[in-house]
Amino acid sequence: MAIEQIKAMQPSAPPERLQHEDSAVKWALWVGLGYLVMFGTIGVIAAVKFMIPDLFYSVQWMSWSRIRPAHVQGMIFGWLLPIYMSLFYYMVPRLCGTKLYSEKLGKATSIVWGIGILIATYCLLNPSNTTNLFLVTKGKEYEEYPIVSNIFLLVGWVMLMWNLCNTFARRTYTQMYAALWYVMGCLLWTAFVYVIGNWPSQLFSTDGVGGFSGLNDANINWFYGHSVVGLIATPGGLGIAYYFLPKAANSPLYSHKLSLIGFWTLGAIYIWNGAHHMIYGPIPYWLQTVATIFSFLLFIPVLSVVTNFFGTIRGEWHQLRTNVPLKFIIAGTVFYFLVSSQGSFQALRSLSAVVHFTDYIIGHSHMALFGTFTFYAYAGVYYAIPRAFKKPLYSEGMADWHFWLSFLGFIVFSAALWVGGYAQGQMWNDPNIPFIETVNFMKPFWHARAGGGAAMLIGMYLFVWNMYKTATVPAPPATEDEIRVAEGRGAAAQANA
Amino acid sequence: MKILPEKSAWQTGMGVALTFVVGLTFTMLLPSFNENWSLNTLNPAGDQAHYHQPYTAQQLHGRLIYQREGCVYCHTQQIRPLEGEIKRYSIGTSLALPSNEREYVYDRPHFLGTRRIGPDLSREGGKYSDDWQYSHFYYPRQMVPGSIMPAFTWLFKDNEGTPVPTQEARDLVAYVQTLGFEREVYDPATYNASNGHDDGWGPWLKPQDRQASQQLGENAVNRITAGPDHGTVRGGTEKTPADITTKPGMAPTGPAAPTPTGPATTP
Repeated sequence: MAIEQIKAMQPSAPPERLQHEDSAVKWALWVGLGYLVMFGTIGVIAAVKFMIPDLFYSVQWMSWSRIRPAHVQGMIFGWLLPIYMSLFYYMVPRLCGTKLYSEKLGKATSIVWGIGILIATYCLLNPSNTTNLFLVTKGKEYEEYPIVSNIFLLVGWVMLMWNLCNTFARRTYTQMYAALWYVMGCLLWTAFVYVIGNWPSQLFSTDGVGGFSGLNDANINWFYGHSVVGLIATPGGLGIAYYFLPKAANSPLYSHKLSLIGFWTLGAIYIWNGAHHMIYGPIPYWLQTVATIFSFLLFIPVLSVVTNFFGTIRGEWHQLRTNVPLKFIIAGTVFYFLVSSQGSFQALRSLSAVVHFTDYIIGHSHMALFGTFTFYAYAGVYYAIPRAFKKPLYSEGMADWHFWLSFLGFIVFSAALWVGGYAQGQMWNDPNIPFIETVNFMKPFWHARAGGGAAMLIGMYLFVWNMYKTATVPAPPATEDEIRVAEGRGAAAQANA
Repeated sequence: MKILPEKSAWQTGMGVALTFVVGLTFTMLLPSFNENWSLNTLNPAGDQAHYHQPYTAQQLHGRLIYQREGCVYCHTQQIRPLEGEIKRYSIGTSLALPSNEREYVYDRPHFLGTRRIGPDLSREGGKYSDDWQYSHFYYPRQMVPGSIMPAFTWLFKDNEGTPVPTQEARDLVAYVQTLGFEREVYDPATYNASNGHDDGWGPWLKPQDRQASQQLGENAVNRITAGPDHGTVRGGTEKTPADITTKPGMAPTGPAAPTPTGPATTP
C-alpha cells in the first residue's frame, strides 16, 4: 500500500509543520474518564441489587430506581459525549488541516459540561428527597435530567459547536472526509434532538410539570429516546470509527461513496423510528407500522457502514493480533451489525410481543451504547491520547486486558439477558405462571449479568489507570514513529503492509 | 465526485435539517392532532362526562412521588392487546381491558414505561388493600417472597417501633389505587370485581373507553383461533372465544388479594 495513496484518501494527514496543542482534548478526556468509572460503578451496583435487593436498602439515594437513570443518563451524557468531544477536538483540526479555533473555549466547555452532569446526577439521586419540579427527575426515560442541568448541557453544546464550526470554517483541505461529515452531522443532530426532546414540554408548561400530556408526551419521549442513540451516539461514534479505523489499520477507506450513502440514509431514516418502542402500545396502528417499516430500512445505513469497515481492513486482518484500537473497532463493528439487526427485528409485532419489556431489551441497548459506541470511543482514545500527550501508551498489555475483559464480559452480560429475557417473555404470555415465578426464573441470568458487568467495570478501571499513567509518567516527547514502534507496528509492520 | 467545499458544507447542513424536519412532521406533529391524545380544550366538560376524570390534588402529589422514586423503570402502565396480558392482569375472574389512548390524557409526564421488572400497574387500582400496599412499600419481601423491589422505608416514619406511612406514602397509595379507574369514582369500600359490568371484562374505564378497549381485547383473544400467523403468542391451554364468557380465572400475582378495608385514601 503506497503511502501516497493513503495520503490521497485521507486528507487528515496534517502537514508536518502544523503542531496541535490538544489541551482541549485532554480536559474533555478527564471529564469523560471520571464519569466512566463513576457511572460504571453505579451500573454494577445496580446489577448487584438484582441479586441482593436489600443492599443499602435504607439509603434512599442508593435506591435501585434512582441509580438506574443516573447510570443510563450518566453513561450517555457523562461518558460518551465528553469522550466524543475529546476525540472531535482531536479529529476536526486534523481533518481540516488547521488548529482548533480556541483551546480555551474547549477547556471551558469541559468544565461547563462536567458541572452540568454533576448537578444532574445529584438531582437524580436526590438525597434531600425534594419534590421541587425544577430539581426532580423529569421521569421520562433518557430525558430525566432536570431543567437546571439542561441549561448547562445546552450551553456546553453550543460552545462545542461554536468551537468546531469555526475550526471547520478555517479548513485548508478542499475535500471533506467522511468522518468530518459525521462529526458535523452529530453536532447539528444533537442540538436538534436535545432541544426538541427537552425544551418544548418545559416551555409550554404552565405549572412546572411537562406541558405535554399522555401519548403526545410518550411520542416525543420516544422520538427523543431513540434519537439519543440514533442521531447523537451513532453519527458521533461512526465519525470516530471512520477516522480511527483507517488510521489504526494504516489502510485507506474502502469507499467514500458508500460512506455518503450511509450518512444520508442515517439522517433520513432514523428519525422515523421512535414509535417502534411502543409496538402493541396504545398508539395508532399506522404509526406502529410506519416505525416497523423504517426499522427495516435502517439496514441500508447499517450495511453501508459495515461493508465499508470490513472492506477497509481487507487484507489487514493479521493486524488484529497486536493492534488494540483495531480490535475495539472491529469488535464494535460486529456488535453494530448485530445490534442494528436486532433492533430491526424487534420492531416486528411477533417478536415484540415476546421480548418487549423483558431483559432482552437491556442486552440490546447495552450492545449499542457499550458494545458499539463505547468500543469505538475506547479505540479512538487508545489511538489519539498517546499522540495528544506525545508519549507512547503506558502499557499495551493492560490495554489488551481491557479489550478482553470488555469483550468477553459483554458477551456474558448480553447473552445472559437475551436468553433469559426471551424465556421470560414467553413465560409472561402464559397467564397461568405467576409473575413472581418469572422473577425467580431470571435470577441466575441476573447473576451472570452482574458477573459480566463486573468484568466490563474492571476493564474500565484498567483503561483509566492506563490513561492516567500515560499522562503522568515523565517521558521526553515522542515522535509519531516512536509511538508506532511502541504500538508494535513500527517500521517492520509498515514494511509488511 | 467533485465537491465544492463551501457549497457542500451548506448543502449538507440544509439537507440534514430538511430530512430531520420531514421525519419530525410525520412521526410527531401529525399524530399529535389525534383527538384522543389530549383533552378537548374546547369542550372539557363534555370530555369529562364520557372519559376519565382529572386527578385530585392528592393523587397528583402521589404521582410526583411515583415519578421521583422511579417506579416507572420497573412497572409499565400499558396492557397490550395480547391474550397473555389480558388474562395475567385480570382481577379475579374479570379480564383486564387493553389500554386505551384516552386513559392517559391527564398524565404529565406519561408513565407508559419500557420494562417489567415488576408487573404492569395500569389495572392495579383496587387489586390490594391500602394496608397491603403500605406493608409492601415498607418491605416488599414480607408480602411477596422472592420480590426484588426496593424497600421504600423513607416513606415511613417510626412511631415507637411501628412504621407509620407519611403523607408521601399515603398520596402514593392514593394514586396507585386509582390506576385504571375513574379517579374520584373509585371507592374501595364499595369496590367489587365486576363493578356492575357483567360482560367478563373488568371494572375499568368509562363506557366510551370500554368499548374501544374491549374491541381490542376481543380481537386479541379471537386471534388464537385464526391460526398461528397473527402475531399472538400462545400460552397455556388454548382458549376459544366462547371461553371469554366463562371467565377463565388466574392465580393472582403474589399473595391472594385481601378483602378491601375501609376507605383509606383520605389522609
